[in-house]
Amino acid sequence: MSKRQKGRDYSKRTSARLLLSLVSPYKGLLAAIFAAAICDMTGMLFIPTQLSAMVNVAVNTRDMSALMGHGVAMLIAALVGSGGYLTTVFLASRLCAKVGRDLRTRVYDASLAFSGSDFNAFGTGSMITRTLSDANVVQQTLLMSILMIFPVPLACVIAVALAFSTDAVMGWVLLAVTLVVIGICALAVAKSAPIFTRLQGFIDNMNTRLRESITGVRVIRAFGKEARERGRLGETFEDFATNAIRVNFVFALTDSITFFLMNAVEAAIMWVGADRVGAHAMQIGSISALVEYAMLIMMFLMMAQFAILQVPRALACLTRAAEVLSREPEIEDDDAPARLAAAAGEGAGGDEVARFDHASLRFSDADEDTLHDISFTLRRGQTTAIIGNTGSGKSTVAKLLLRFNDVTGGSLAFEGADVRRLSQDELRRRIAYVPQKAWLFSGTVAENLRHGDAGATNERLWHALDVAQAGFVRELPEGLGTRVAQGGTNFSGGQRQRLAIARALVRKADLYVFDDSFSALDYKTDAALRRALAGELAGAATLIIAQRVSTIHDADQIVVLKDGEVVGLGTHDELMAGCPTYRAIAESQSRGEDAHA
Amino acid sequence: MPSSEKNVELDELAELERGEAPSGRAAAPDVPEEELEVPEDALGTARRLWDAARGQRWRLVVAAACSVLYVAGSLGATAYSAGLIDLLWNNIQSTFETGAPFVVTLENGALQILTFLGIWTASWAAYTAQVLVMASFAERLNLGLRRRIGEKLSRLPLAYYDAHQPGDTISRATNDLDKVSEVLQRGLLQLLIAVCMVGGAVILMATYDLMLTGVFVVFGIMASVATKLVTARTLKLAAARQAALGDLTGRVEEAYSGRAVIKAFGREDASLAEVAEAAERLAETSGDADFVTNAIAPAIRLLMRLCQVTIGLLAGGMLVMGQISVGVFQAFFQYVMQASEPFTQLALTVNMLQGALAAAERVFAFLDEDEVVPDPAAPAELPEAVEGRVAFEHVRFGYAPDRPLMRDVSLVAEPGQKVAIVGATGAGKTTLINLLMRFYEVDGGRITLDGVDTRDLTRAELRRQFGMVLQDAWLFEGTIAENIAYGKPGASREEVEAAARAAHVDFFVRTLPHGYDTMLSNDAENISQGQRQLLTIARAMLTDPAILILDEATSSVDTRTEQAIVRAMEAIMENRTSFVIAHRLSTIVDADLILVMEKGTIIEQGTHAELLAAGGAYAELYRSQFA
Repeated sequence: MSKRQKGRDYSKRTSARLLLSLVSPYKGLLAAIFAAAICDMTGMLFIPTQLSAMVNVAVNTRDMSALMGHGVAMLIAALVGSGGYLTTVFLASRLCAKVGRDLRTRVYDASLAFSGSDFNAFGTGSMITRTLSDANVVQQTLLMSILMIFPVPLACVIAVALAFSTDAVMGWVLLAVTLVVIGICALAVAKSAPIFTRLQGFIDNMNTRLRESITGVRVIRAFGKEARERGRLGETFEDFATNAIRVNFVFALTDSITFFLMNAVEAAIMWVGADRVGAHAMQIGSISALVEYAMLIMMFLMMAQFAILQVPRALACLTRAAEVLSREPEIEDDDAPARLAAAAGEGAGGDEVARFDHASLRFSDADEDTLHDISFTLRRGQTTAIIGNTGSGKSTVAKLLLRFNDVTGGSLAFEGADVRRLSQDELRRRIAYVPQKAWLFSGTVAENLRHGDAGATNERLWHALDVAQAGFVRELPEGLGTRVAQGGTNFSGGQRQRLAIARALVRKADLYVFDDSFSALDYKTDAALRRALAGELAGAATLIIAQRVSTIHDADQIVVLKDGEVVGLGTHDELMAGCPTYRAIAESQSRGEDAHA
Repeated sequence: MPSSEKNVELDELAELERGEAPSGRAAAPDVPEEELEVPEDALGTARRLWDAARGQRWRLVVAAACSVLYVAGSLGATAYSAGLIDLLWNNIQSTFETGAPFVVTLENGALQILTFLGIWTASWAAYTAQVLVMASFAERLNLGLRRRIGEKLSRLPLAYYDAHQPGDTISRATNDLDKVSEVLQRGLLQLLIAVCMVGGAVILMATYDLMLTGVFVVFGIMASVATKLVTARTLKLAAARQAALGDLTGRVEEAYSGRAVIKAFGREDASLAEVAEAAERLAETSGDADFVTNAIAPAIRLLMRLCQVTIGLLAGGMLVMGQISVGVFQAFFQYVMQASEPFTQLALTVNMLQGALAAAERVFAFLDEDEVVPDPAAPAELPEAVEGRVAFEHVRFGYAPDRPLMRDVSLVAEPGQKVAIVGATGAGKTTLINLLMRFYEVDGGRITLDGVDTRDLTRAELRRQFGMVLQDAWLFEGTIAENIAYGKPGASREEVEAAARAAHVDFFVRTLPHGYDTMLSNDAENISQGQRQLLTIARAMLTDPAILILDEATSSVDTRTEQAIVRAMEAIMENRTSFVIAHRLSTIVDADLILVMEKGTIIEQGTHAELLAAGGAYAELYRSQFA
């Protein structure tokens, strides 16, 4: 329990620090907002002051020009006050928009340095929430705080000062009233804040369960679980309602107490005020001004109370953002990274491009190695293939090469240098990678292909497309300029895959990695592509991660992985003879082919 | 062509597929929605809400009465305060004439001050009664409606689910009803209070002075017009903000999904620049939108202050001329203030009310959706031991009545047979399952199980005979053990583990820190798509059903694991009927019956050898896969 408490305090501090760092670049704007808020409050409070002065003039000197003077002063107060408020709103909207923008950009920037494990520690869904809607909550709450909380101390100070300037006794009365109301509001916030936070949890629950019972409708019905789901939903609805009603009651009570105080205060001010007028300490008109000050203070405190309740949620959002910002990326470049001698594709390091030397990888939260004691070498002009079951760690090998993860045991050398000594940028510029899921970005086909090499000519792009068997682009009316939808969803799976291969081929690299890139292709295209690649990639090392034995059985060496360990290394024929795992895979796939043959 | 989604393994990219889910979520609840929505049938919707409030209506009646009392009290207190100030002032003046200082006593004003406090207290009591009575009104009403939504969900046909985004339905149960409760909680009575307050204040003002009242009314009308104008502008700016937010969301989602590509190609800086640019556009539009939204109230307040200044000058002159008393002057002003605040709210409250009615309309529209045909009153019963003979007899079916897909389909799956369903994506392979499980009803002909028309059975009885593993591995928030035991809640831990072992997922579960007690959450990224699928297979295995349906179940699992699972399945399914939808022809060549589907109907059926010999669509498909 105490540990949790400490964690909370810690998170409060980090979120406060983050907020400070977000706001601090805009000191000028903040100062302007402060000045505008003073104008706003002063103007607002001067209206009743001038009004009461008018009454005093009317009942005492009956001087028409003095009356006009106060009228003009009131007009000015109204304009300054409202002008001040409008300026506050204008500047605060801008400030908060900038803070929101900075927070989004900073979180996104931080995410770019994350390794796969770093990123997965949060998860994609959560990262999207942290980048977008959390920043929204922070932005809106900050705006509300500036408009509804920030002016309250100002209003209190100015009102009490005005009361003191009218009459010291009345000043004390107003000060006492202010303190009592602040006390009550603080109590109400303290009481309702935890309920309010819990309410947020119930809202989340409601959303989760609803989503579950909608997306899982087929399973629910197949298992005849409708009643159970109805029960679960009913429970969350009820929890939410019970809590929401509780929050409403707290609000209603505070509302009521404040209202009662307003009445009592008004009567008290009349009573004490009349006494003070009777003692010649102040004038009759000032009574209504004092009543008005008290009412304004209470109104402001009520509003602030509502705004304060939103703050914990925003702090939680800030904390979540701070978690992203403060996470030390697992993989960071050396301060003085090693350099690779030759330019990409020239290959000064002899024919050895990459070497796994007893390499192991264990994720920090795992009990077992994902890859264990892996040793093999990728050579220039050679094709190496990796095959194995789901979860055998095939893709992880590619991730190590790209330094999406770093080995936790043994070593991995690229062009003779330990990859951990190389900068990520330098290393990745040497590798052309085709991911398992062919992801394209919105833009044009040409833009996507040039991710491989920004300076590539159109001829290079066409050549890469031809090698990748992506001739269909020629048939598109807009050719290279064809629009690509987000993720490339306007192309079929096979087309996307071939475009992703072309994107990698545009790059001149020492190592080409195809992570299960041929699975979406039919056998004919698969074969044609492999023939075309053989000539294209002769000067580089090739790594193919595959599921189909037919895709890889010409490879110079095949690495068979099982549960993260190498259980076979050799050519197809050698493995067929000596590796039971490989033979089992091959046999499981050959049934169809035999039947055909 | 085989599915491109195939063979996704324990890989960050696989997890991204699930990561895409949040984008389907209804409009982020944190973004203020400022559409101006108008209900189509305001009166009808209001009447249905009134119906839904049965048992709660007394609250509304009491609250309305209390609100009127409250308004009367506060207007009365102000009227009384006019006389009170005059009385005090007269007493003070007359005491001054005697030269003595004035002190408030019961005789010279305290009684009246206490009476004034009494009137306010009565008004306060009415107000408090109103807020307390209403505190639970809206949420109770909502709870009732939400329960009805929850029940509706289990009575809707699958057609509804297939035609609507989950986010759409969720937002009706959450956002829409929240809008309704917000308005019912405060808005409705605020409107009533505002109308009474403005009306009453204006009438009382008129009893003091007509000209000053006229000034107030003119300003009031100006304020209303101004509110309308600014609101229109707000909506436009809000739409621009929404568009900018949509653009940024798209970019961030795209970038997070394509992280591996961005990093592999060293495009971090370029990507950051793009996101920063979109964030900048959002900052600009949201700065504008926030400003205008928050500027309405102070702008109206400025108008009302100008009104106060004008009245102050006019009334001050009258005060100097002795035409009105100090008390009247102050009371008049109090009325101006009392009526000014509600005025700024009136227009906004009306908009809110309209929006809430439109939201309620959507909820009722959902509750009015067509439901599934009820189970027969006297359902047929299946024999104790179901054999699993499934027959389609002249089945006619189409998702839309005017576009029939199956015109006359007949087939027989004998007990224990393995039936394979093949065809391109979109050929309608799941249609067959939809009909078998009665997720959809046939338009003609009939489907029988052991000779009994499935429509004569209750759906629960029918579905109990099937075990099903679906394309999207649906797991709920709960432990892994709970998820596996979903179809058999009383299952022992041994049974759960045995099922997991049979589905080849036991080892994986044991590597998790909490093993079978690991909580799965919606964005549980530590479980890959393949593992999720294996868990659903374990779930189906545990129920040990008469008939098994594998709907592309193994598409995320590699060939060898698939083989192992199919072998395990075959062992369990011995002498039981199974339907398998698979993309890899290699896994179904040994099927007893192969159904080839195209455009929603079965175009060929037979064994592998028969179909190859026929040289039709199946042979073509087969050749394209093993060229």
